[in-house]
Amino acid sequence: MKLRTLLAALMLVATACGAEVDTSSIPDLAEVSTDALITSIQEAGRPAVVNVWASWCGPCRSEAPLLSSAAREYRETVDFIGLNVRDSPEDAKRFIAEFFSGAPIHHVSDGDGSVVADLGGTTGVPLTFFMNADGMVAKTHFGVIDERTLALEVDELVRASAG
Amino acid sequence: MEFTLLFAAAMAFAAGVLALRWEAARGNAADCASDLGQVLLTATIVGLFVGRLAAMIGSGVNPLTSPMDILIVRGGVATGPAALAALATVAFVARDELIQVADAVAVASLAALGGWQLGCLPREACLGTPTDLPWAMTQPGSSVGRHPVELYAAAIYLVAAAVLAVVRKRRLAPGLAAATALIVAAAGRLVTEPLRPSLGGGPIWWYTAGIVLGLGAVWAVHRQTVSRPPVRPV
Repeated sequence: MKLRTLLAALMLVATACGAEVDTSSIPDLAEVSTDALITSIQEAGRPAVVNVWASWCGPCRSEAPLLSSAAREYRETVDFIGLNVRDSPEDAKRFIAEFFSGAPIHHVSDGDGSVVADLGGTTGVPLTFFMNADGMVAKTHFGVIDERTLALEVDELVRASAG
Repeated sequence: MEFTLLFAAAMAFAAGVLALRWEAARGNAADCASDLGQVLLTATIVGLFVGRLAAMIGSGVNPLTSPMDILIVRGGVATGPAALAALATVAFVARDELIQVADAVAVASLAALGGWQLGCLPREACLGTPTDLPWAMTQPGSSVGRHPVELYAAAIYLVAAAVLAVVRKRRLAPGLAAATALIVAAAGRLVTEPLRPSLGGGPIWWYTAGIVLGLGAVWAVHRQTVSRPPVRPV
């Protein structure tokens, strides 16, 4: 009985162990329009992976570390853009500080989800658009993305851009 | 809900159960009391749970503050911890007759792995690195031919399961079927890993460790067989 009480107390303490996240280095997320997003991709002249996320979305939390790793791995060939939807600015910044910290991902805000709708997405998050260098959507992945799918689709994007 | 992933899991389960029944029909029924289907299922569930937990911790997500994230299997399962946990579960659940149970589930385990890999078809996730080979497959809307790498792995596991089932009929030394299955399970992933698209090359050290562990078990079985005194004729 004592052991169980001790374990329960330890678990409670562990849940409270999450340190307060410092968001002071995270800039406010700029609101983006569909045209502005496409133009920025065209001007960069590189394919882009646009990941739609929100801080209240549990599955987004699961795939964030993978996207951060991928953004570092492919930083020379592909741009990674985070599209934050239907979120509060403070929660979004806290999420970035906690899960995307240091990753070369440019985050912007799509407050009402209109950009996602224009690109052919749904209201469900997460979802990921794979966009060619000309700003066209090559593929849309609905739901949590796994490592194999992400690596395969990025490879397809890079080859399509090179060819 | 990831229904395609669930379907792949169902294919793995079905392949495992079919293999157990096929073995029983061929006269390879296990000389043990444990319910082999239950042993396999328990080991799989514990393996998935521990693998998912390890993946969450590895990627900086606290499982205590985000407990429901454990259910998001698509978010990643750490292969090594999952395999270790599954093996440890078999060892614990069947501790009174470990060798017999391990041998008895060897063929079914390989068949289940083959079924899981075949599950790439409903998941539309069979393709790997580019190739010009005649059997290359392409993604919808793409002209890049790719290795159907998950089907390669499925073929390796299903053929190995069939061969092991045939060989088991010859009364292998205790533990040899299980050790062989472990080697094939790890080698099947190791040889197909270079053909899989991944970030950073995949967990090849875990697969290598699996092969080494299996070879160690084969060596131990051989030692046991050689050192056993010959039976005197009555």
